[in-house]
Amino acid sequence: MVRGQLFGCKNAVYFFIISNSPIEDSVNSKSPPPTKKLLLICSLLVINSLSAVARPVLRWGGDPSGGAPYVFADPANPQSYTGFDYEFAEALAQQMGMEAKFVPTDWESIVASLQRKEFEVIIDGFEPTEDRAREVLFSKPYYLFRLQVTTRRSDPRIKSLEDCKKLGIPVGTLVNCAASRLLESEGYKSVGYQDPVGAYQDLELGRVDAVLMDVAGEMFYARQNPKLKPVGEAFHTGAYVVGIRKADKELLAKVNTAIDSLADHGTTEKIFRKWQLWNDEQLSLRTSKPAEIKVTGTTLNWSEGLIKLSKAALVTILIAFGAMAIAVVLGVPLALGQSNGGKIISALCTVYIEFFRGTPVLVQLLFLYFGLPVIGLTLPGWLTAVIGLGLNYAAYESQIYRTAFQSVPARQWHVAYSLGMRPVQAFRRIIFPQAFRVALPPMTNDFVALFKDTSTAFAIAVWELATAYRELANATQSYLGIGLVVCCYYLAMSLPLAHYAHRLERKLQRKSTGIISSGADK
Amino acid sequence: MITIKGLTKTIESTTLLNNVNLELAPGRILGVIGPSGNGKTTLLMCLCGLLPFEKGSITVGDRTLRAEQSEARSETLWMFRKKSGIVFQHLHLFPHLTVLGNITEAPVQVNGTPKAEAEREARALLEKLGIDQHRNKFPEELSGGEQQRVAILRALAMNPEVLLLDEPTSALDPMRSDDVRHLLKEFAATGHTVVIVSHSVRFLSGFADQLAFMGRSEIIEMNDTKELLENPSDPRTREFLHRSGLN
Repeated sequence: MVRGQLFGCKNAVYFFIISNSPIEDSVNSKSPPPTKKLLLICSLLVINSLSAVARPVLRWGGDPSGGAPYVFADPANPQSYTGFDYEFAEALAQQMGMEAKFVPTDWESIVASLQRKEFEVIIDGFEPTEDRAREVLFSKPYYLFRLQVTTRRSDPRIKSLEDCKKLGIPVGTLVNCAASRLLESEGYKSVGYQDPVGAYQDLELGRVDAVLMDVAGEMFYARQNPKLKPVGEAFHTGAYVVGIRKADKELLAKVNTAIDSLADHGTTEKIFRKWQLWNDEQLSLRTSKPAEIKVTGTTLNWSEGLIKLSKAALVTILIAFGAMAIAVVLGVPLALGQSNGGKIISALCTVYIEFFRGTPVLVQLLFLYFGLPVIGLTLPGWLTAVIGLGLNYAAYESQIYRTAFQSVPARQWHVAYSLGMRPVQAFRRIIFPQAFRVALPPMTNDFVALFKDTSTAFAIAVWELATAYRELANATQSYLGIGLVVCCYYLAMSLPLAHYAHRLERKLQRKSTGIISSGADK
Repeated sequence: MITIKGLTKTIESTTLLNNVNLELAPGRILGVIGPSGNGKTTLLMCLCGLLPFEKGSITVGDRTLRAEQSEARSETLWMFRKKSGIVFQHLHLFPHLTVLGNITEAPVQVNGTPKAEAEREARALLEKLGIDQHRNKFPEELSGGEQQRVAILRALAMNPEVLLLDEPTSALDPMRSDDVRHLLKEFAATGHTVVIVSHSVRFLSGFADQLAFMGRSEIIEMNDTKELLENPSDPRTREFLHRSGLN
C-alpha cells in the first residue's frame, strides 16, 4: 500500500497536476438569460479548446501558522487563506497559465519539504541565503524587505540593535530566516521563535526585551500594539524570492518571466499596496538582477556546532531532571489522595490524573506558556517546560506508586504494627522499600521517556537539543549528519541512566525478588 | 497473663466473636482448636491489637485495651500492641531485609536498641535454633521451616509478654522439631504466655497446657489439655474431637 503510493508519487509529473473540474468552477451559481447562456457556452468551448481542457496546477508551499501577513488563515473565513504571498502566488500562477494550489507546511523545514516534492515552489517571504543557495534555485526578487527592531514602549534601554549586543540582551527572532542568520553571524544572543506571534507576545510579557523581524511581520503584529515600539530605522535590505528545486531550471525561467510581467503590469505593486507594504524602494527591482542581492548566510562550523549541541543537551538534561524531581515528589500526594483521600480529594486527584494523561503534553505546554500570562502568571520558557512536564509526569508517577503500594500485602503493615511500629515508621522502613522495588523499573522507563519528551519544549521557544537540531539542520540542510550526532547525544544521556537503573534494580533484586510467603491468611 | 472480657466483634452484621471471655495465667501454653471459620484467627488479631472490636476489653500483662480504644490510633494502642507478638500462618517476613535485619529491625527502630546489641541478641537466638549461618540471607533463600523460625524470632526479639501463633503446623512441621518446641517452652517457663491456634489437635495434645474449643464465634469450653481431651463436657467438643480422630 505504502510502496504503491510512493511509487505513484515518483511517477507523477511533479509540477503539473491535472485538476479535475476547472471549467465548472467558473460557471457557478448565477443563471444568465438563455441567449447570454448560449454565448457563454460557446466562449467556454473556445477557451476549453485553447487551454486543452484543464490548466496545470502550481503547488506552492508556505507556513500559515502565525504567517500573517504573508499567508495565513483568513480570520473572516477561516476555511480559506489570505496574505500578500497568497495573492502573489495566485497572480504568479495565473501569469504562468497555471492554477495555484497552496500547500500549508512548516516554516522551519520548508526547504526539506520542497526537496521531498510536497510542492514545486516556496513562496513565503523566502530570502536568498548562502546555505539555501546550495539546496535551491532562487527566482528574481519580487519584493525588497527591511528588518525592524521592536522593544517595549516602557523599556528605555534599547535605542538600536547594537545596544542589545552591548547590554547582552538576547534578541527574539524567527528561526531560520535572514534576521536569525544576521544575528548569528554578528554574534548576537538570540531566541528563536516558530512564528512572529510568539515572539511579540513574549516581548510584551517581558520574556525577551527585543525582537528583530521583517518589516512586513512587524507591521502586522507589532505596530498596532500600544505596549510595543519600533526602535530606530528599518535596515538591512533583503529580498523575497521564489524557491525552486535545483533540477527545475525550466520552471525557474517561467517563474522569472512571470515575476517580470507582474512587476511590469503593476500587479505586484497593487498587491503590496493593498497590504500597505509598498515603498519606492521596490522600483529598483525592475532594474536590478538577482545576483546583486546581498546574500547572507553561514556554513556549518562543526566544532562550533558541537558546542552548540552540547549546550542544548545541557538544557535538555536540566529540564528532564527538574521535571522528574517535580513528578516524583508530586506523584506521592496524588497517589495517596486518589487511594486514601476522602471522596472529594480522591475525585480531584482523579480529575488531575486523567486530565494530564488524556491531553497531549505539547498542548499542555502551549497552554501554560501562552495561557497563564492571561491570568497574570508569566513564566520563562525553560521553567514552563520544567513545570509543565513535571505536572504531566506526576500523573504517570502517581499511578506507578499506587500499583506499587497495592502490590505490598496488607499483612506487612500488620506485622510491622504487631512489632510496635508506628504508621510512619512502618511506612518508611517496611512498606516503602518494598514498593520502591516494584516502582523502580517503570519509573526508569518514564524518566527515559521524559528525556525524549523535553523535545516538545521547542514549541515554547526553549532552546534544547531538538530545537538546536532543527535549527542547525535547517541552516545547513544536513539532516542526516547532524541528526546522527543528535541521536548520539540523546543516547549518551539515556543509556547511562538506563544502565544505572538496571544496576540498582539488580542490586535490589539480589535482596530477594518476590514475597515468598505472600497470600492472605485466613 | 491474658484476660478477655465480653469480647464482641462484628463485620457488616456478621458476628465473628460473640461475648468471648478468657483467663490465662502466665507461664501457660494455650491451644485454640475448632472448625475453621469460627473466629480463631479473628481472636488472635484482636488479642494483638490489629483488629478493632465493638464490645469488651482485653488485658495483656499490665495493659488493657477497651473496645473504644481499639479503633483510634493512639498511644494506648501502640503500647498495647507491643505487649504481644504474632507469627502469621504465612509468616510475612520482610522480603527486603536479611534474616538478621528481619529480627533486629523492630528492636532498633522501635526500642532504640543499639544495632550491635540487637544483632548480638539476635544471633544468640539464631544459634539456639541452629540457623545462625543463614543470618545474612534473604527470606526467599530459606526453606519453609527456616522461615518460620525467623518469624518466631522476629516476634520474640521484641520481648513480648505473649506470643501468638496462627496455624504454625500447616505446611512443613518445624514445630515438631525439638529446638523450636524447647524455645517456646522456655519462653513460657520464664513467665510468658503462648497462644497457638491450630487445626492439629494431635500436635497440641502433646504441647499445650490448656485447650480452648471454639465453636461458632465463642469459646465453648476451656480446660487442661488432658481433661478436655478425655472428658469434653460439651457435645460439640465431643463431636469435633471425634471427627479429628481423637476420642
